[in-house]
Amino acid sequence: MSVREFAMPDLGEGLTESELVSWEVAVGDTVELNQVIAEVETAKALVQLPSPWAGTVTRLLVEPGIVVRVGSPIVAIEVADAAGPVPAQPPARNAVLVGYGPPVEGGERPQRRSRTALLERHEGPSAAPEPAAESEAAVVAEPGRAVAGPAAELGARRAERPRSTPPVRKLAADRGVRLELVRGSGERGTITRDDVLRSAAEAATSTAPPRTDTGVGRSTPPDETRVPVTGVRRRTAEAMVASAFTAPQATVFLTVDATPTVELLDRLRARRREGARPGLLSVVAKALCVAVARTPEMNARWDEAAGEIVRWRTVNLGIAAATDRGLVVPTVPRANELDVDAIADAIASLSESARAGATTPEALRGGTITISNVGVFGVDAGTPILVPGQAAILAVGALSRRPWEHRGEIALRSVLTLSLSFDHRVVDGQQAATFLADIGAILAEPGVVLTML
Amino acid sequence: MTALTLAKAITLGLRRSLEADDRVVLLGEDIGKLGGVFRVTDGLQADFGVRRVIDAPLAESAIVGTAVGLAFRGFRPVCEIQFDGFIYPGFDQIVAQVAKLHYRTAGAVRMPITIRVPFGGGIGAVEHHSESPEAYFTHTSGLRVVSCSNPQDAYAMVRQAIASDDPVLFFEPKRRYWATGEVDEEAVAPPLGSARVVRQGADVTLVAYGPLVATALDAALAAVEDGISVEVVDLRSLSPVDFDTVEASVRATGRLVVVHEAQHFGGLGAEVASTITERCFFHLEAPPVRVTGFDTPYPAAKLERHFLPDLDRILDAVDRVMGRANSLSALEVTA
Amino acid sequence: MLRSLDQLDPSTPMSAPGSLLQLLSPDGRRVPDPELEPWVADVDPAALAALYDDLSVIRRLDVEATALQRQGELGLWPPLLGQEAAQVGSARALRADDFVFTSYRENGVAYCRGVSIAQLLPVWRGTALSGWNPYDVGMATPAVIIGAQTLHATGYALGCAIEGVDSAAVAYFGDGATSQGDVSEAMVFAASFAAPVVFFCQNNHWAISEPVGLQATRPIADRAPAFGIPSMRVDGNDVLAVMAATRIALERARRGGGPTFIEAVTYRMGPHTTSDDPGRYVDPDEKAEWAAKDPIDRLERHLDDLGLLTDGLRRSVQRSTDAAAAELRRACLALPDPAALSVFDHVYAEPHSGLDRQRAEYSAYLDLFDGSDS
Repeated sequence: MSVREFAMPDLGEGLTESELVSWEVAVGDTVELNQVIAEVETAKALVQLPSPWAGTVTRLLVEPGIVVRVGSPIVAIEVADAAGPVPAQPPARNAVLVGYGPPVEGGERPQRRSRTALLERHEGPSAAPEPAAESEAAVVAEPGRAVAGPAAELGARRAERPRSTPPVRKLAADRGVRLELVRGSGERGTITRDDVLRSAAEAATSTAPPRTDTGVGRSTPPDETRVPVTGVRRRTAEAMVASAFTAPQATVFLTVDATPTVELLDRLRARRREGARPGLLSVVAKALCVAVARTPEMNARWDEAAGEIVRWRTVNLGIAAATDRGLVVPTVPRANELDVDAIADAIASLSESARAGATTPEALRGGTITISNVGVFGVDAGTPILVPGQAAILAVGALSRRPWEHRGEIALRSVLTLSLSFDHRVVDGQQAATFLADIGAILAEPGVVLTML
Repeated sequence: MTALTLAKAITLGLRRSLEADDRVVLLGEDIGKLGGVFRVTDGLQADFGVRRVIDAPLAESAIVGTAVGLAFRGFRPVCEIQFDGFIYPGFDQIVAQVAKLHYRTAGAVRMPITIRVPFGGGIGAVEHHSESPEAYFTHTSGLRVVSCSNPQDAYAMVRQAIASDDPVLFFEPKRRYWATGEVDEEAVAPPLGSARVVRQGADVTLVAYGPLVATALDAALAAVEDGISVEVVDLRSLSPVDFDTVEASVRATGRLVVVHEAQHFGGLGAEVASTITERCFFHLEAPPVRVTGFDTPYPAAKLERHFLPDLDRILDAVDRVMGRANSLSALEVTA
Repeated sequence: MLRSLDQLDPSTPMSAPGSLLQLLSPDGRRVPDPELEPWVADVDPAALAALYDDLSVIRRLDVEATALQRQGELGLWPPLLGQEAAQVGSARALRADDFVFTSYRENGVAYCRGVSIAQLLPVWRGTALSGWNPYDVGMATPAVIIGAQTLHATGYALGCAIEGVDSAAVAYFGDGATSQGDVSEAMVFAASFAAPVVFFCQNNHWAISEPVGLQATRPIADRAPAFGIPSMRVDGNDVLAVMAATRIALERARRGGGPTFIEAVTYRMGPHTTSDDPGRYVDPDEKAEWAAKDPIDRLERHLDDLGLLTDGLRRSVQRSTDAAAAELRRACLALPDPAALSVFDHVYAEPHSGLDRQRAEYSAYLDLFDGSDS
């Protein structure tokens, strides 16, 4: 035996409550199935309520004359538990002419049903294979054959375009970045905004002729001149921004008495009958390569995506060059394998190309460390900005005759300042200092190279 | 200001329209003594008489066709089609006559007819009483189509529909007839063709109309727990659609989810998704997604909860456009 | 009998205007009608007792179903209270190879056609859109759209005529339905093609709250002759007259005589459906008048007059009705809820790619939830 409560049922006409007019049974009465147990009032008529069960009335829960909400219990009946399905009391509904009606709003806070299976499946980065499983692929099913779920018939597929989103595609189009050449760092190889910007920065030294002016016809105030930012200048700017805002950069300075190097250069030039005559830059370049061998951390880069520092054995030495169009940084490949004469030849060739605007794209790629000769502008020192993708850049200041300590006395010596900026994620202060000191030592006394190789 | 159910708000709107213009007549089955099967016309025949609140014989084609004739004579007929699934006998009169007469006569003849239709499911009904046929009518030029979602709009929009010189299909969300809300008769009503942002949010634009606006708002509330900020737009007008409002929202959020009870293929969601993609392509972070009834006839009452978009299905789509784990991403991983 | 049929003239109704074909008056007395009598000459005491059992069972099923609805076990129920004789009298005239197309109120016809009590329930409980295979019992799924079935019956009948078989189709519909265009179009087609169809209109005086006077300003039976269809107006609460009229119409159809229209005049003693409020529009006096014409009461009196209303018969009928009610309740509560994915079943006869994909996606979606199906 169990006691069940009967709730005020739906009565039609969209009413949500009804008055209990009278009871037809009393506590203790035996009732039969469908026996009328109460009368309730609707808008115009009295409705009789039949009992849903046979049993004994144990409690009348509502006084006559009380208005009861649909779904509220009105009577408790003790029933014999019969074998067979128990009629469950369904949730209260606003009855309609043609069906159960919509549920009466409960007023609880809306909540999602939990899906732990989904969350478990998505722990960690999604290990999906290439987009082969995509159901959006252009699969041609035979007529009449059901294509159930994501069917992939790889043999029949065309090559897909790179994955990206519309705003990123537009950015790439605006910057002249070809998505096919970009490695996507997003889920399933999706190319992100950062991927595009990085790609644009790396190609910042492209020799594409600057785009024609987009501001023609716009009137400018008399004091103002507008120069469209395009081509090399744009790419340089982007590279600067990318560099400045990704790598933490610090600079160390060293001023050296390079008089022995200057004297050496006279002798080196005299010896060479053909080819370019080595200049200060060539010697600094060679010294740098020697120093890299001793502090290889300087010839490296920070790989964010892989979470690694990549160190190169080869030195592809970038030589920053100022041109009419702006800054370009062509590289001397495998500079570490070249002697100072070969370096001189290479630098001369690059400078000539740069001046002519004929630097090849290959020459602009693959640099691992850079020298910037700010001295040609008469500048002593600076805080050069790293070329994105490198860990160090050395600015060579102008050579000037200055009073300097020499053999215990003050003498006029050829002095210059070296400025080394480095990526502090890759290189620590001591390494940078050691590296710079080595270069300085060679310039101060070229013969010490014999102790360094 | 009074608290009224959506049904009673329409009753009030009808009453005010009958008071304001004596050319307004109501025509429909059981709208007189019974006051309509949902009691929306309750009391109106007693107050305005049998010449203005007219009980119609059981014939939808005749109800609409007779309204055409009355309109020719200068009346403003308000037809009631008792249930969405019964509109089809009247379909020919609606699309071939009501929709085209203004065009056919170069504006000489106007059809200021309002056709009120309780629509949508969620009421546990037998066949033909839970349909969402709005797409047939939004696809018909010459008709305006609207759907209210709350009592204030129900009141204001039925008055505007009746006052409009164009024919208006006025879809009433029948499962929301019992929902209560404040109705302010003095409030200035926005234009009939406008949409409204009913909840502000930053991450996703959720577009709904009629019965699913309440569900969309529930979904937005539940999404707070997931840290997602959902903006809900009540379209209100289905023809024309106020794309400017939707566009402004999607330009800010970058993500669109559209929901409707009507079947998926060729539904209004397709129109909204397509147009917004055109207008907002370069602001979209994810493809627009529609959450809709399946491409089946409306099922038996015990199955309708699967057919109808609910909070969970809506939020699954929100997860999709947010790039979070969702049922489709699960499908692709296992494929 | 044959003479009666040969005398049929499509341009005049078979019953005189304003009259009603009748064999059993409300107080249970037999009414002489030489034209009708031969058609029920075979209804002997056993057959009468069987009709009494049918009427009682159908009423009891109606009462029990209404109770189940009040208890939340059915979404709705359209009572046929008061219309038992119209449905039983006509349905028991049918052959197994005939086919009927009804409205949603003809649960009595369904019972007589052999639909099981359990099969009556799924539509009202909301577990399915139909309760039985139409071909098993020769009865289409009841139409919810008013009047549509009259066209279907006409088409079916046309099919029989094309095949040259003598099966007939019967369309059941109400007085409200006669306003729908489909019904007029059905009569046009039936007449033009001499289709073997019987248009059986139960004029129960109400279409929800609209009285029959709104649908028709003259007797409904008067319409059919204008379409070229002979018509009979019969007392719908008189099971014998209904049976006779239906047999006449069926015989006419089988012999290639084309359609017949029967208006069975009766009264809807209950609400339109269980959530209706007839108190708003029904005149209690009118209802009381019709209560005095109850179809079961008059048959009881007639049986009593014949000395057939024995304790044995009473007990037997009581057992029948109790068993039917118990079976209805048992079957209702035992109806299983349909499986979630069945929402996609049977949309098409052949595979449909778009739908198959939706089904797969929804299935995957459901699988992700904790706990059982949705």
